Amino acid sequence: MPLEWRLAWRNVWRNPRRTGLTVAATAFAVSLVVFSAALSTGMWDKIIDDSVRMASGHVTLTGPDYLRERTLEQFTHFDGPLIAQLDEDPDVKGFAPRLSAFGLLSEGEATRGVMLLGLDPQREESVSSLPKRVKSGRFLESGRKGEIVLGGRLADVLGVEVGDEVLLYSIAYSLESAYDLFRVAGIMGLPDPELDRGLALISLADAQDFFVYGDRVSEVAILAQDTAESGDLTEALRATFDPSRTEVHPWQEMMPDLAQTVVIDKVGMYIMLGILVVVVGFGIFNTILMAVLERKREFGVVLALGLRPRVIFRIVYVESVLLTGVGLVVGLLITLPLVLYLQANPVPTDNPEVLVAFEMVGADPVIAAKLRAANPFFSALTILGVALIAAFYPAIRASLGKPVDVLRSL
Amino acid sequence: MPTQRFFALTAACLGLALSTADGAELLPAPAGLDAGEIARRSEDTMRSQRTIMDAEMKVISPRLAAPRVVRFQSWEDRDEDRSFIRILSPAKDAGTGFLKLHPNLWMFIPRVERTIRIPPSMMLGSWMGSDFTNDDLVKESSTLDDYDHRLLGIDPAPEGHSELSAYVIEYIPHEDAPVVWGKIVAWIEKEYGTPLRQDFYDEDGALLRRMDFSDIRIQGTRHMPHLWSMVPLDKEGHKTSITIERIVFDAEIDPSTFSKRNLRKARR
Repeated sequence: MPLEWRLAWRNVWRNPRRTGLTVAATAFAVSLVVFSAALSTGMWDKIIDDSVRMASGHVTLTGPDYLRERTLEQFTHFDGPLIAQLDEDPDVKGFAPRLSAFGLLSEGEATRGVMLLGLDPQREESVSSLPKRVKSGRFLESGRKGEIVLGGRLADVLGVEVGDEVLLYSIAYSLESAYDLFRVAGIMGLPDPELDRGLALISLADAQDFFVYGDRVSEVAILAQDTAESGDLTEALRATFDPSRTEVHPWQEMMPDLAQTVVIDKVGMYIMLGILVVVVGFGIFNTILMAVLERKREFGVVLALGLRPRVIFRIVYVESVLLTGVGLVVGLLITLPLVLYLQANPVPTDNPEVLVAFEMVGADPVIAAKLRAANPFFSALTILGVALIAAFYPAIRASLGKPVDVLRSL
Repeated sequence: MPTQRFFALTAACLGLALSTADGAELLPAPAGLDAGEIARRSEDTMRSQRTIMDAEMKVISPRLAAPRVVRFQSWEDRDEDRSFIRILSPAKDAGTGFLKLHPNLWMFIPRVERTIRIPPSMMLGSWMGSDFTNDDLVKESSTLDDYDHRLLGIDPAPEGHSELSAYVIEYIPHEDAPVVWGKIVAWIEKEYGTPLRQDFYDEDGALLRRMDFSDIRIQGTRHMPHLWSMVPLDKEGHKTSITIERIVFDAEIDPSTFSKRNLRKARR
């Protein structure tokens, strides 16, 4: 065996220019595949992360039927045992209870229907980016009553500034009229224009009083340690709750549009990369076939000397593995540091088209990469697999020659 | 889309089957009857040019151990398309007023001394926590002007009023009308035009809610139902009924009633 490998290695370098070109093509392919996948993962992880931080976390606990109805009638409880359970779960990065309802905000002649979130200011820090979005004034603070934080465009429409009072009106869970004056503590700048125009935040305690809601909450937003593992976290949590009391939803269910966009984008990318890999496969096929055809005489001689066809088949195969392997190693050596660098240092972008796309989903416009262990592994394996398929015909061709025919043809 | 149309059609057929299944088979109506005229008579039974009403509203919901009871007084000026409502009880809401001056609806909350203009997007919101909407209250759309009327037949024994017989009329909204319903099917008593029932359908032909009228009392020439019950069919266990305690038709109403100044004058 070592002899075959040694022979194959020498054969690979018999035509350095051709080998160099094939290695370059393979290296380029694996670089492109790894880089594209990392960039896509990085971008989508960023968008998903920013989106779930603006919405309901990677995983959301709700009352039964909440997703369909979204009224006060669908609730769950945020109690001691649940807090203990989530505190102990190593896959949970943070969690926050929320009460979500509709209300009318009014100041002077202006009235707007708003989505009202009652939230725990302290816990919210660990789950959402809302506290960081405050552009004037400050976020809600624990223990302070009667304060409200508004989206920027909402504040403009109402014509209010930090310190002003607004009237909030809605129907309580008890079906009584609910109304109270709230002081504007802060105004946020939210990237999603719809939220910026229609989101108002008050403390969970105020919201539970206002809506006569007791200790009920609409949802518990949970942030996973890693976006990629939020699916596993969903399954693990689902197993621990009684579905007739508490439903567990991954972000894909809370934001189906986003989930669909991710899938469509990834499918498109994989089709492109698949085509690239096939093209590289033909390159490898061509190189090996040429190498085999020009060594017809050599194979005839060694066959005549009694080398078994199986060994020749193996030598050719080892050659193609080495050829591809060198290309993969070179490609990965170039790409991995680049990807890891981009992962550590996201690059802000000012491309207007990208800006628009990011604003729509409410994410910060940066180009980031994210390398998962599976990415270079599967990229290399796929290209190697294609090379092995490509090498089959030349290897058969080399091993099946009859010594007499070969020698006569010379 | 063809599938959508198919579903709408199926739903419409189901809806039709429901309405006939309710009160036995409909009899064909004699020719020459004007459905619009029947609808007008029914409207005239319930309203006059100027109407004052005292009423009690009872809201039943699975959320509540005991029904929520709201008492209110209303003034309506049909000519000018304006109305005014003052909540009398419960204590928390007493003095709250609603003023409709077409096309606006204002609400005044005395405890915080603030007036809110209810935006058009909230017209379908619950009125005072009941199964009636703000739109029911202000009647932004007119059952006469915004709909085409079609006589479906005669129900010889309407449910709940088996001694009466009723025209069954379908109200189909005009395309550009500010109407949220796909259609309304109304049972109207033959002789006096008393409304007995109204079924409200969405645009896909699904029955969404039903209003039943009962406790018919004779007041002058009117045969007027004094108990109105609204049941939303998509919310189990919910029901709102309005009992009319006093109603004065063709009343004298001081025009200043319909002013923002009066709205802010809380009588608690």
